[in-house]
Amino acid sequence: MSAADNSRSTSFQIDGAEIGFVEGQSILQAALSAGKYIPHLCYHPEFKPNGSCKLCTVKINGRPAAACTVQAEAGLSVESETSEIKDKRRTLLQMLLVEGNHFCPSCEKSGNCMLQALAYDLGVMSSHFPQIFPIRLVDASHPDILLDFNRCILCEICVRASAEADHKNVFALSGRGITKHLIVNSESGRLADTDFSATDKAAQVCPVGVILPKRRGFAVPIGSRRFDLKPISEQIEKGDHSSGLAFGEGSH
Amino acid sequence: MGFDLETAIPSENLRRVVIEPLSRVEGHGKVTILLDADDKVHQVRLHIVEFRGFERFIQGRPYWEVPVMVQRLCGICPVSHHLAASKALDLVVGATQLTPTAEKVRRLMHYGQILQSHALHFFHLSSPDLLFGFESEVGKRNIVGVAAAYPDIVKKGVLLRKFGQEIIRITAGKRVHGTGSIPGGVNKSLTREDRDFLLKDAYQMVSWSREAVHIIKQMHQQNPALYDVFGSFRSNMMSMVGTDGELDFYHGALRARDANGKIIFDKADYQSYSQLLSEGVKPWSYMKFPFITALGEENGWYKVGPLARVQNCDHIPTPLADAERNELVAYGKGSQLHATLAYHWARMVEMLFAAETIKDLLHDDDLMGDDLVVAGKHQREGVGVIEAPRGTLIHHYRVGDDDLVTMANLIVSTTHNNQAMNTAVREVAMRYLDGRKLTEGLLNHIEVAIRAFDPCLSCATHALGKMPLEVTLQDADGSVLDHLAIASCDASECPDPP
Amino acid sequence: MNKKLKVATTSLAGCFGCHMSFLDIDERLFELLELIEIDRSPLTDIKVCGPCDLGIIEGGVCNAENVHVLREFRKNCKILVAIGACAINGGLPAQRNQLDLRDILEEVYHTSIGLAPRSVIPNDPELPLPLNRVHPIHEVVKIDYFLPGCPPSADAIWKFLTDLIAGRTPKLVHGLLHYD
Repeated sequence: MSAADNSRSTSFQIDGAEIGFVEGQSILQAALSAGKYIPHLCYHPEFKPNGSCKLCTVKINGRPAAACTVQAEAGLSVESETSEIKDKRRTLLQMLLVEGNHFCPSCEKSGNCMLQALAYDLGVMSSHFPQIFPIRLVDASHPDILLDFNRCILCEICVRASAEADHKNVFALSGRGITKHLIVNSESGRLADTDFSATDKAAQVCPVGVILPKRRGFAVPIGSRRFDLKPISEQIEKGDHSSGLAFGEGSH
Repeated sequence: MGFDLETAIPSENLRRVVIEPLSRVEGHGKVTILLDADDKVHQVRLHIVEFRGFERFIQGRPYWEVPVMVQRLCGICPVSHHLAASKALDLVVGATQLTPTAEKVRRLMHYGQILQSHALHFFHLSSPDLLFGFESEVGKRNIVGVAAAYPDIVKKGVLLRKFGQEIIRITAGKRVHGTGSIPGGVNKSLTREDRDFLLKDAYQMVSWSREAVHIIKQMHQQNPALYDVFGSFRSNMMSMVGTDGELDFYHGALRARDANGKIIFDKADYQSYSQLLSEGVKPWSYMKFPFITALGEENGWYKVGPLARVQNCDHIPTPLADAERNELVAYGKGSQLHATLAYHWARMVEMLFAAETIKDLLHDDDLMGDDLVVAGKHQREGVGVIEAPRGTLIHHYRVGDDDLVTMANLIVSTTHNNQAMNTAVREVAMRYLDGRKLTEGLLNHIEVAIRAFDPCLSCATHALGKMPLEVTLQDADGSVLDHLAIASCDASECPDPP
Repeated sequence: MNKKLKVATTSLAGCFGCHMSFLDIDERLFELLELIEIDRSPLTDIKVCGPCDLGIIEGGVCNAENVHVLREFRKNCKILVAIGACAINGGLPAQRNQLDLRDILEEVYHTSIGLAPRSVIPNDPELPLPLNRVHPIHEVVKIDYFLPGCPPSADAIWKFLTDLIAGRTPKLVHGLLHYD
């Protein structure tokens, strides 16, 4: 279902610019399709939206909402790049960064990490909050894939991918509040005891450094990594942002 | 000699003088001196006061993270750790022989590092003492002061260091804490532009390095009364030596000589380092005290680094540096040179060797090759040894079948010199401080002795922990007069910090 | 002729990489020395920080001595800058925070391979008391500016310092702001 097949007779405004949309798209999807970047972490073009990270918060006709969960409608007035919203996005990122153990200096995802790239783009210069230094585990049981839970931001892209694309339900979130964490769906809790495979969709989609193919760390030199070349706001990820997947039109 | 001033017999009241922090050295250390009412020296100790815990917290991390993480023990010589860890993990991934491109890129990275580190140490850190005098005005005794008095020298020092750092940037990806070396090889090679960019300055760097050797050599020859005796003591020496007995910073086998130059062991495969070397622990320093096991703790300690390397090897494979080496060896008139200040001379000879090697390497088109990584049958263990700017660096890792590190053991260059540095400062204390009213300039003499070794105290403090604190007050017979134990220490419980 | 700014620097529980990156400004150092003079610093022999305009601090706090030095800097410097990952979020030394300290000491001084017999865990009173956990410095004193990186590149440091000295709020654009 390409954009050209549908008439774009309606549009709405983001930061004063006219954005056309296809019926069924969310505000975020319409913006990304039009090349207008709105920060996001838990959105993935192929899966149902989560609305959990809140990075895509925008003001719609004066009221804040997650752009990935609100349907685009003609005539809406949306604000995204205000200093108030950017401040709040920075605070969200700072909270994420102190909640886990995000040690960028020796993390192999550095330079390809969406959390890091967003923090650079928004100019996060300090921790602000006290570091929590939680005790998190590493699961290296699987022969091909490493799980480092220190870096999990609870975006649930892997949960959705494993369920909607792989039909395996390998991952889930468990616990409440600050104890909420990613778990593996096996009796032992280990990845090796599931039917997870390196070719699964869920193995490709982690935006940070949790789900990692083994023995490939640091093969890409500094300077050639994805976000070395351009900031994340200039690299809208590939994928069909035009699909109406968001609103229950069927997953395939 | 060497252990005489380690522990004062607690008989009379002793006054404590402390030099803290040690300046113009890398890392954190302090020297305490105990003196009696007549200013006689009874005890001198170099304390390494910090401890990191790397060998413990690296356990449970995937092995490919190690070269990138471990280099962060030190900001001056990260490449040493980066490469030593890579060499150890080459064995773990079954890469028994690297591709020509990978080995040469690593060598270029390493020699670039030796150049920049030695330049930094001589020009930025040590030159104030050597050019102005050990007791010169404290406000001027730094690189800013030297830049004002000898701008040409400082400019060359800055540019020599810059050249080495640019080599590292190009090979490792960043000047400090890059990622270029990975288990089994490297992740990039040079472009033609990179190579030409570096080559255009390479000859100048050789020439300036040679000038630096002449500066320090002249200082020795003009002031033997100072340079020959300051902080001097006899000891064994250890270093890695190339297959034909040549000086090689990147690879080789272990050789140790005694104070007379007689071989203790030679062509020793460094995979078996733990059979040759042991480490002692003393309660007053976090840094351990390595010694040659066969000779015992009292007689088995040794020096590493430039003075050991240049004399341990049979020759240097580049012509200008080899000629300078011959002059240095000849200065000893048939004996090993043990003068602590001779470290500076040997260090500049090594810097010249590094510059010549870099110039030669840059002509090798293999640097621009595409074949970067090899892998084979995985093993569970590997030892990587390299000659870091400061001395022999040993990395030893064990890795589980799940690719996570299960054991790490590091013996860091400066650690080998622990006893040597303590001995040097005791020698200086006896010769220059004993019985005299202490001034800032006299205390600087102690630091000059330490600086000669170019210590990297951050590297040496690669472990850190927290311990219950026990303080015991003993009288001269050793009977316990009082005892205090605190089960755990936290900042909130801590009395006013020292 | 303008009075030079007094600048002090120190590395607490850091690796000196940020200081090395500072020196990576290469010849720009001579330009900078027209504008600043250096007080307490690993590069000078001044051992106690006097009144300064700017204090640049590398490294987090891992022991009592670090806290003492940090407080000395806060007291004497009008502006304090935390430079590098260790100062800002604990960095490499903070990787020990998930572990029990006694375990680490035992491992390094009792069970490590190649130890001479009768090795003790160092406990001399001359050794500063280690802290329970390694802390970023803003958790101990107020910090005015942060300059991230491990280390920040020389260009980032240069941009930052020239902004500060000129009275501008320091701003790092894409390519200069890094956490690794």
